[in-house]
Amino acid sequence: MIGLEHYLTVAATLFVIGIFGLFLNRKNVIILLMSIELILLSVNINFVAFSSFLHDMAGQVFTLFVLTVAAAEAAIGLAILVCFFRNRGTIAVEDVNVMKG
Amino acid sequence: MIQADLTVILPEIVLALFALLALVAAVYTGKDKLGPTLVWVTAALMLLLGLWIGTAPAGTQEAFGGMFINDGFARFAKVVILLSAALVLVMSQEYMSRRGILRFEYPVLVALGVVGMLVMVSAGDLMTLYMGLELQSLALYVVAALRRDSVKSTEAGLKYFVLGALSSGLLLYGASLVYGYAGTTLFSGIIQTAQHGEVSIGLLFGLVFLISGLAFKVSAVPFHMWTPDVYEGSPTPVTVFFATAPKMAAMGMLARLLFDAFGNAIPDWSQVIAVLSLLSMFVGSVAAIGQRDIKRLMAYSSITHMGFALMGLASGTVFGVQSMLIYMAIYVTMNIGTFAFILMMEKDGKPVTDINALNMYSKREPGKALAMLVLMFSMAGVPPMLGFFGKFYVLRAAYEGGLAWLAIAGVVASVIAAFYYLRIVYFMYFGKDGEELDTHRSPVLWLLLTASAVVMVAGIVNMFGVDGAAAAAAATLLN
Amino acid sequence: METIILFAPLVGAILAGFGWKIIGETAAMWVTTGLLFLSCALSWVVFLSFDGVTQHIEVLRFIESGSLSTSWSIRLDRLTAIMLIVVTTVSAFVHLYSFGYMAHDPAFKDGESYKPRFFAYLSLFTFAMLSLVTADNLVQMFFGWEGVGLASYLLIGFYYRKPSASAAAMKAFVVNRVGDFGFSLGMFALFFLSDSINFNDVFAYAPTLAETKLTFLWGEWTASEVIAILLFIGAMGKSAQLLLHTWLPDAMEGPTPVSALIHAATMVTAGVFLVCRMSPVMEFAPYATGFITILGAITAFFAATVGLVQTDIKRVIAYSTCSQLGYMFVAAGVGVYSAAMFHLLTHAFFKALLFLCAGSVIHAMHHEQDMRNYGGLRKKIPFTFWTMVLGTLAITGVGIPLTHFGFAGFLSKDAIIESAWAGGSTFGFWALVIAAAFTSFYSWRLIFLTFFGTPRGDKHAHDHAHESPMVMLIPLGVLSLGAVFAGMLWYNNFFGHADQLGEFYGIPVAEATMHGDAGHGETAAHGETTAAHGETTAAADTATEGHAAEGGGHMVFAGEPGQGALYIGADNRVLEAAHAAPAWVKVSPFIAMVLGLLVAIWFYLVNPALPKKLAESQRPLYLFLLNKWYFDELYDAVLVKPIVALGRLLWKRGDGKTIDGFLNGIALGVVPFFTRLAGRAQSGYIFTYAFWMVLGIAALVTWMSIGGGAH
Repeated sequence: MIGLEHYLTVAATLFVIGIFGLFLNRKNVIILLMSIELILLSVNINFVAFSSFLHDMAGQVFTLFVLTVAAAEAAIGLAILVCFFRNRGTIAVEDVNVMKG
Repeated sequence: MIQADLTVILPEIVLALFALLALVAAVYTGKDKLGPTLVWVTAALMLLLGLWIGTAPAGTQEAFGGMFINDGFARFAKVVILLSAALVLVMSQEYMSRRGILRFEYPVLVALGVVGMLVMVSAGDLMTLYMGLELQSLALYVVAALRRDSVKSTEAGLKYFVLGALSSGLLLYGASLVYGYAGTTLFSGIIQTAQHGEVSIGLLFGLVFLISGLAFKVSAVPFHMWTPDVYEGSPTPVTVFFATAPKMAAMGMLARLLFDAFGNAIPDWSQVIAVLSLLSMFVGSVAAIGQRDIKRLMAYSSITHMGFALMGLASGTVFGVQSMLIYMAIYVTMNIGTFAFILMMEKDGKPVTDINALNMYSKREPGKALAMLVLMFSMAGVPPMLGFFGKFYVLRAAYEGGLAWLAIAGVVASVIAAFYYLRIVYFMYFGKDGEELDTHRSPVLWLLLTASAVVMVAGIVNMFGVDGAAAAAAATLLN
Repeated sequence: METIILFAPLVGAILAGFGWKIIGETAAMWVTTGLLFLSCALSWVVFLSFDGVTQHIEVLRFIESGSLSTSWSIRLDRLTAIMLIVVTTVSAFVHLYSFGYMAHDPAFKDGESYKPRFFAYLSLFTFAMLSLVTADNLVQMFFGWEGVGLASYLLIGFYYRKPSASAAAMKAFVVNRVGDFGFSLGMFALFFLSDSINFNDVFAYAPTLAETKLTFLWGEWTASEVIAILLFIGAMGKSAQLLLHTWLPDAMEGPTPVSALIHAATMVTAGVFLVCRMSPVMEFAPYATGFITILGAITAFFAATVGLVQTDIKRVIAYSTCSQLGYMFVAAGVGVYSAAMFHLLTHAFFKALLFLCAGSVIHAMHHEQDMRNYGGLRKKIPFTFWTMVLGTLAITGVGIPLTHFGFAGFLSKDAIIESAWAGGSTFGFWALVIAAAFTSFYSWRLIFLTFFGTPRGDKHAHDHAHESPMVMLIPLGVLSLGAVFAGMLWYNNFFGHADQLGEFYGIPVAEATMHGDAGHGETAAHGETTAAHGETTAAADTATEGHAAEGGGHMVFAGEPGQGALYIGADNRVLEAAHAAPAWVKVSPFIAMVLGLLVAIWFYLVNPALPKKLAESQRPLYLFLLNKWYFDELYDAVLVKPIVALGRLLWKRGDGKTIDGFLNGIALGVVPFFTRLAGRAQSGYIFTYAFWMVLGIAALVTWMSIGGGAH
């Protein structure tokens, strides 16, 4: 029987993978965007699992909001990335360091 | 029923509709030619909304089953947000027009961001909180990268976006945990679960994640790393915007979350906030010493200031919230004045941000130098400037809330911080003669700079009533 | 009217000090002087019409804090009235005199404006002194006390280009601080014990103070003893009594009108005034008053000996002042406060006169102050000569023995010496008599060296010696009137019988027989009693000794503390005893005076070579006196050097190395280290930033699960 804790474990694992993806990856900014999506989706799993477990619709409503926002976020992220690429000619994470100190 | 709900959020609706209409209108008519007009109109609308909210009758109204709360606290924060955003727009117009970056999207995005902020401080539910936060953040990501042809600006946008998305993720994860363990996303429901017995560990985890997500928005250490880069990279008017309204909104939202949803677990979060406050004060002031770029310096300065404001929250008392509100109001005023000065720093028509350029500035522009001196003293917390009273309030709140160690640390940190504020003054008055900045005359900026400096001195009489308003606002939050 | 008296000088000071650029230099001088003459005229009206009943005139609420409630109000009683005329009269004439004296000061460059400043300071001083004497509570008095200290500092250092003047100003200030410390402690103790600083409350509380035991330093004392001693320490500083006297001779660095006003007539007598004002406390402190007597006597003797050999004309008079102040303290110490006030009044006239005469001489001799360079000036400046002789006659106490006919000093000084004898202080009596002989000697020595003999020193200066202008001579004339007649005029008021004093000071008196049982209750009748005796007062001018002894037996003072201007305990019969003193006691100061005069004549007129020979044969003694008993050197070795050394140590080692070093270490070492660290952490890479965020949240979560959530 798959219980709540299994869902939570999966979500937590995905969340941690997503976070690791953010700071272990040094190659491509696109991967950062994917990691962010991963984090948001892990949260969605959490919400849905809790919602079903609690027999409460709020969690699923929240999930829909998160999905919507995630889409908008991805769009904006990609747009900024395109602008950045036009100026810098690269999207390697290591090259995003003009400003520091 | 729905009509009553809509009346409560009427200001937000008005602003949002205006933003959308402006967007459509600009796209189908003159595009960027409409920019300056749009800036002024937006600023005027915000000013009007600020007056409307500020003069609204006292009392608490709830909408959408408690998901949206309009109380004294929200109104105080909203007035600060609207007024500062309006002033920022006014400041931006001339600067951006001359550099050809005044796109019509700018006022629209700012207006949308402000709508998000207004929702944030009124949030009564995790969903409202998230929606407000995202609306604000998405608008800010874009304005950070407003200067599309600049590496720095786009890099700032990219960094802000990636880290902001991470922080949203953390916040959401916390929200999901809180939802799971409290069984509801309503603040009024969460506070009741905490009432019975101890706060469950899951709820605490959720709380920590939520705090971390919001700490990113107020740029508290160690979630502050984006701040200097984004401040430096963004066009200066955008930096002003970052430094003022969103800070107030994030602080207001943090206070609302902590007191409305977790008001029964004050000892649990008080220590977390205290640690964040301590770290922010010290890291902010120590790191700023090494800065030569005045925008980066202001970024660290705002990190330090956020540390002080958090100190008020950490005390967990009504007076603490009051002191935080006062501190934020003073902080916003000081920042507007200081950035008005920074916006005027240019050489051969190009903006200059190196503080060495200020050498012997007092000789050439004694009036402006004097105003800047007052602002710097105020930032450093030198009596009798208003900045001193802001610090005094939060220190007293921390002390009375049993955080004497934090108050002492705050005093030490403010001594360290005084160094770099006074160094600017030193450069202006005693530095070596160096390259000369243009004598730039912008009546709007000059007026804002002078007004801000005058407020810092004249405000010591009664703080223009902000003191009492903040006390009333704080009382409604902790009823 | 009293308010006008008090504030007119302040108005003058402000107008002259801040407004002289607008109204002009001359106008500033006239404004201050005019206002002071107004103040002076009103003071005389107040003094002559005053009926002896204490009045309180509230000017403004001053300090309200806890149980401390202080108004700024004028206490008008006989003591105040006396001080009012002393202060305003001398001050007004010194203002007038300064017109001439300060006209062309070589210490300032041409075109430099110093006169308005001088007049503003003088008026400021006068205001401070007036607020001291009109004070109705200790805080107000302390305000005046410090105010005169400030004005004195400013005026001593008036020639600020002269290092010695600046040093003297500083010395006066610092030495006075020592005394002020005592005064403040006394004031605090009074407030601590009686919970009030208003004179009325404090005085009413005085009998209780006498019964309060207090542990102070090493022993247990009654509270009144401790307070009396502490207040007296304050008085010692201001009035230049032995141990704290060293500043007064140095204060002569200031312009001479200042010396006359501040360091002879008014400020230095503030200590005497304080002791008299606090008579209700003093009366309950027998040991403290004994101490005051002894110290006053020693000062009188010591200063007189030093005065014997000084050659600077102003220093001679300065030591003479010091010595005369000692007299006053002896009188106050033995409990005859009225005699102290009497000498204060007469001394103000003749000492101010002497100083102003000295100023006139100095003015004539182009700011030469060494008497060895004078001589034979009698013809050159006759008016100054004659007035100075009058002053000298007054200070040495010339008069007809056993009568009440003589110069001012004769009456007041003899009154003190008789009181000292009657007060049972044999030492005090003899010290004062010997001091009187010395006084006579050095005063006449001054006259002979200056005005007789052959001109010495710079011939040019002697050739151009000229009489001073009229504005300087008028004050001399007026003050010499005071020096001649002040004693005879008010003898009975100050040193008459108990009933006469009672009327003058507003103290109830009672029949001696009634004292002891219901005596105190009957004092309500004093109005009639004194009125009845008032008629006899007029005829009492030439009252004989026998009558005095007789009259003294009838009446005794019977006031409660705080009633009237002075409080004289019911057991205090010194006044009567003084009147009943044997004839040899009364004649002794006269004999001493004559002796001094004769020796002076022999030394300086008959055989001018003798002093030098004597100085050579008695060299150690001469040097001892010339160096003022080596007090300055002693203080330098015992106090100044060690304190400077300690200060240097704390500065170099304590502050410089330890504190500065510590702070510099943090500021230059630790903070920049962290700054570099923070800069390096800010690497510019997104993954670093994200990593820090994750580290932060991990740390917080861990901390919460271990510490926070586990409660």
